[in-house]
Amino acid sequence: MLRLININRRLGDFALKDINLEVSDGQYYVLLGRSGSGKTQLLELIAGLEHPDTGTIILDGADITTQRIQDRKVGIVFQDYAVFPHMTVFGNIAYPLRARKEDKKSIAEKVEKAATAMNIKHILERSTEKLSGGELQRVALARTLITSPRLLLLDEPLSSLDTSLKDDLKRLLRNLNIAGQTIIHVTHDYGDAVSLAKRVGVIHNGKIIQEGSVDEVFKNPSNRFVARYAGIRNFFRVNISGEKGLFIGTTEHNVKFKLNGVSADNESLLLIKSDSIVLTNEMPEDKELNTIKGKITEIIPSEFGMEVTIDAGDLFYVNIITSDMEKLRLIEQKEVWMSFTSKDIVVINGN
Amino acid sequence: MSRNSIFTWIVMILSSLVLLFILAPLAGMFIHTGGVQFLETIKDKEVHQSIWLTLWVSFTATFIFSIGAIPFAWLLARKKFPFKNVVQGIIDLPIVLPHTAAGIALLGFISRDGFLGKTASIFGLNLVNHPSGIALAMAFVSLPFLINAARDGFAAVPERLEKAALNLGASNTKVFFTISLPLAWRSIITGFVMMFARGMSEFGAVVIIAYHPMIAPVLIYERFSSYGLNYARPASVFFILVALLFLIGLRLLSLKRKEKYINTDAQTD
Repeated sequence: MLRLININRRLGDFALKDINLEVSDGQYYVLLGRSGSGKTQLLELIAGLEHPDTGTIILDGADITTQRIQDRKVGIVFQDYAVFPHMTVFGNIAYPLRARKEDKKSIAEKVEKAATAMNIKHILERSTEKLSGGELQRVALARTLITSPRLLLLDEPLSSLDTSLKDDLKRLLRNLNIAGQTIIHVTHDYGDAVSLAKRVGVIHNGKIIQEGSVDEVFKNPSNRFVARYAGIRNFFRVNISGEKGLFIGTTEHNVKFKLNGVSADNESLLLIKSDSIVLTNEMPEDKELNTIKGKITEIIPSEFGMEVTIDAGDLFYVNIITSDMEKLRLIEQKEVWMSFTSKDIVVINGN
Repeated sequence: MSRNSIFTWIVMILSSLVLLFILAPLAGMFIHTGGVQFLETIKDKEVHQSIWLTLWVSFTATFIFSIGAIPFAWLLARKKFPFKNVVQGIIDLPIVLPHTAAGIALLGFISRDGFLGKTASIFGLNLVNHPSGIALAMAFVSLPFLINAARDGFAAVPERLEKAALNLGASNTKVFFTISLPLAWRSIITGFVMMFARGMSEFGAVVIIAYHPMIAPVLIYERFSSYGLNYARPASVFFILVALLFLIGLRLLSLKRKEKYINTDAQTD
């Protein structure tokens, strides 16, 4: 198990601040953050390429904060792969074994086994000059995995691969994790996080701002930044007031939301997922529902059907499947009713 | 004619003039050297000895000093330390010093009264008027070429690759010899050739340390001052030809490696 305790590290204008993190054995931990958020720096601290100003790094019960890189048994695969250009694929994969002065026969056997697992056995004797991004990635992975790392750190492993290669690599990473490899994977891509992670941490400006299972983080984003990651586009800044035992959030354009379990008299941010909103031509009768009437301003194709933009004073973005759209005969400028339950609204206090 | 082509013409004419300035004296020297004189010089044992001495002393000086200069260049490329700029300035000092002044400074250091001279004399070695003294003079004025080229070479090696190697369990020494050095090799060889060539052509510093045994530049000067231009010319031509042969040979060696690495460097930078 890896534990980071109160890690601080200043690098010029940027700083990692009070990082506390726990990654249990066999975990697939995805650290999500934009470029410049500090995620790569954090990986380098764990690998020992950099050292924290303050704080402790504990791996399997031992304090490794100041341990030499070579002794940590933490493998890192860099975003640009860092495959040695002056060596063949074999030379690259054999590098850690040669550094350990293993005998030739054992090196040949282990390299072949690793190359077979990564499906790159056919390119073992090739120079790394003309390899594709996918092949380089596998060489880098094989080279790291051959050291049997206690912890595998991946820096944006999917960012420069095309879609089909991405799926292959995701499968490979998932299988590695199933086989027991503990993985920390940093990415800026929400999709990668959702499809691979067992646990997610969101890092922003050098701080981990939310952490939990994929469901916990993306169903209950703790702030607007995390919500953006989850693809939530419906944000509303509201003032909450209590009326007749019921709390109502009102936007500056006078759109009202019925809310549960909130406190009154404060400014809050409401988030509603685009696919939680149901569209109808008539006003729904259920009094418990939030029902808001608006005019369709735009309908554009989206990944899962259509995205309908509705102006109800504030703009709402609603995802709808194509067949429903045809059933409802939705066209631009038409007036429709939006409905959603109070439970579909995530309330974030403060910012 | 467009403005652009007028500009191109002017640049071409100016460039040709500069090129001509370099080539004309050399060509003149070759043309004015008679075949008979040249053949005699080739057979001249004194000329042979001095050219051979120049080549091997310069090569040995370059080789021995590279053992310290290459790790020093790595240090300059990779590490931050106080007064690094001052250190960098000190390295470039021999380039700007008048070479006779460099020779005088060095003479004080290696003569029997000097620190190095005293130490050497304990082992029965007199550095003045000795090939080892010549080697020191050559190295003194030519070291910056190797250090600077090697430093640029190390700086161009992506640090990522060194970090990756450390992460894979290699020791610092192993990383230096298996990653940094091979990837900076092209620049190091270029620096090596430059230092060798510069050492070989040194006159000012060497003549103060050792008039005898005579290296080729001193021999050429001696023939000129004692017998005149016509007598100095064939020795010059012979020395230039041999030196060129060596330099082209070394260049070809380094080019072979260059082709091998050129694409991969671009990929990882």
